[in-house]
Amino acid sequence: MTPSGSKRRVKVKDTNDLITGIVLLGFAIVLVFYLVPNYINEPPILQNPMMSPRWLPAIIGWLILLFSILLILQAFILEGKTEEDERAIEKGSTRRFVLMVLSLVIYVALFEAMGAVFCGILATLVLFIAHPVRTWWVYSLAFLFPIIVALLFVEVMNVPLPIMPFGF
Amino acid sequence: MENFSEVVGIFFSLDNFLAIAVGVVIGVVVGSIPGLTATMAVALALPFTFSMQPVAAILLLVGIYKGGMYGGSITAILIRTPGSPASACTLLDGYPMAQQGHAKKALKAALYSSVIADFISNIALIFFAAYLAKIALNFGAPEFFWLICFSLTIIISLASGSMIKGLMAALLGILLSMVGLDEVFGSQRLTFGNYNLMDSISFIPLLIGLFAIPEIIEFYRKKAIPHIKAKASGAGLAFSELKRCMKSIVRGSLIGVIIGAIPGTGATAAAFISYSDARRRSPNKANFGKGEVEGVAAAEAGNNGVAGATLIPLLSLGIPGDVITAIILGAFMVHGLTPGPLMFQENLSLIYALFLGIMCSSVILLVVGNVAIKYFSLIADIPKSILFPIVLMFCVYGAYAVNNATFDVGLMLAFGVLGYIFNRTAIPAAPFLIGFILGPMFEDNLRRSLLIGSNDLSIFVRGPITWVFIVLTVGSIALALYRFISSRRDVRHATTTPPEL
Repeated sequence: MTPSGSKRRVKVKDTNDLITGIVLLGFAIVLVFYLVPNYINEPPILQNPMMSPRWLPAIIGWLILLFSILLILQAFILEGKTEEDERAIEKGSTRRFVLMVLSLVIYVALFEAMGAVFCGILATLVLFIAHPVRTWWVYSLAFLFPIIVALLFVEVMNVPLPIMPFGF
Repeated sequence: MENFSEVVGIFFSLDNFLAIAVGVVIGVVVGSIPGLTATMAVALALPFTFSMQPVAAILLLVGIYKGGMYGGSITAILIRTPGSPASACTLLDGYPMAQQGHAKKALKAALYSSVIADFISNIALIFFAAYLAKIALNFGAPEFFWLICFSLTIIISLASGSMIKGLMAALLGILLSMVGLDEVFGSQRLTFGNYNLMDSISFIPLLIGLFAIPEIIEFYRKKAIPHIKAKASGAGLAFSELKRCMKSIVRGSLIGVIIGAIPGTGATAAAFISYSDARRRSPNKANFGKGEVEGVAAAEAGNNGVAGATLIPLLSLGIPGDVITAIILGAFMVHGLTPGPLMFQENLSLIYALFLGIMCSSVILLVVGNVAIKYFSLIADIPKSILFPIVLMFCVYGAYAVNNATFDVGLMLAFGVLGYIFNRTAIPAAPFLIGFILGPMFEDNLRRSLLIGSNDLSIFVRGPITWVFIVLTVGSIALALYRFISSRRDVRHATTTPPEL
């Protein structure tokens, strides 16, 4: 019997790599054992299994699985690089971030119904408030730019956009 | 002679000149704004090119690329914030010069060396692209299969950070490129019954999402920092000073050309190699890092020498050397063109019209750059709090414009979140994008090889060209392993060595 005090504790040296490895391992397992068999149709007759539509996605799945295990092992063996510590950011207020997410939701949810100009104005105003921009005249840009950019797409570059609400 | 008149007919139109000029201006403006990169600008400009002629469209993007390469040096010199990673080397001497009151001199040195290097790089492109394409005409499917393998592995091996993460990013990119209908059997692959995915994942939403949205998310995620003002002042660059720097500029340009022609290496490496070469050879080596004009010139020459050369593998082999050339490859595809050796046979006039435009872009860069020194430092003063909402607007409008579908806007935001996660977890985005672009070619050449060889795997080692690429592929993996092990050794050394007091 080994006394509990002499047991070697395995220490994680790079938490970031460990989490990334676990997430990718989970993804690879889902890909290989669920997505590839269920969401890629295979033709009934195949002369060579390498010609199958499933073959390359399955190989990729297995390779991701292998590399994610290596990444997990690496997290236990090797220290994180100092340059990776530089990725650490000083987080801003939650309100700022939530308002940014709100502006993205506005674009996705209202773009076709309310049109590019209205969505652009609303989302830009939300982002100006999120920062917050304290110069009053800058808010006029939130009205000006969506109109200019939308007209640039539609009139100058002939790229169609839903300009006005409800397709008008 | 017939070809010549055709080239002239294609190139000499107001649209093309306007496209180059607008492209260079956009590139310099965007490049001079910290946080906005040339990659982002090229990605955002892509939807605007839908209605343009192919030559004008490509020249617009090339103009942005070249302008962005130079623009990055403006803020590097003025406010010690490189507009692009490749300009990081320029600030080593550029910023000390600005602090000493020689900002204008540093900016002029950066401009002239950029233009000279760009010109040399363009000449290399014109001479070598056609030659390489001629060799590539002998390639069959197995040779292209190994060439793509080599391109993928060298991009991974030279990407910064973990090799494992680079490999996984490339694999994820290849996997996503397979979403849609299988080209041989027509069966659905990972579409989940969604008709929007049947025609594969749209390239532009992926591109914009991956390279523009993460910057915006990060800006609103982190604490707001005060904005730094920039100012260009002091005397200009004397001719004698430019003459003194000339050797370093030419050497730096050639370094840029060689590095640029190899897929995956990039401008940052070229700038630093050129800078250290100039420092090693210069009689003023003691002044390097303290405000030496030759240092600025060498860094910018290396940085810009890459620009034309990265188009060599793209035009001659159809292989993108970096992220921007990958986007330009996408632009070719949007316009129904496939770069590669066959393009030199089928669309030679178009290629030479592009060459003419690329040469013109150097001259336009000189003009725009001179104006930029005077006025564009003011653009760097625009705070990100005003810029990013407008950038987001361009992102959304551009993504929607591809298929007129909100699905693409959602897809772009999803890739934006993925790009942000990549940034936070140090997974490089470049191998992911290159994997996404080369994925279909990889699978197509694999299947064609099997068909040609009647399912006999010996087709993959059929001749000397395949063996050359096999050796290069194995060599690039070995290089990646070596770089990984040596970087880890450095980390271990840094953590075990006690700090100096």
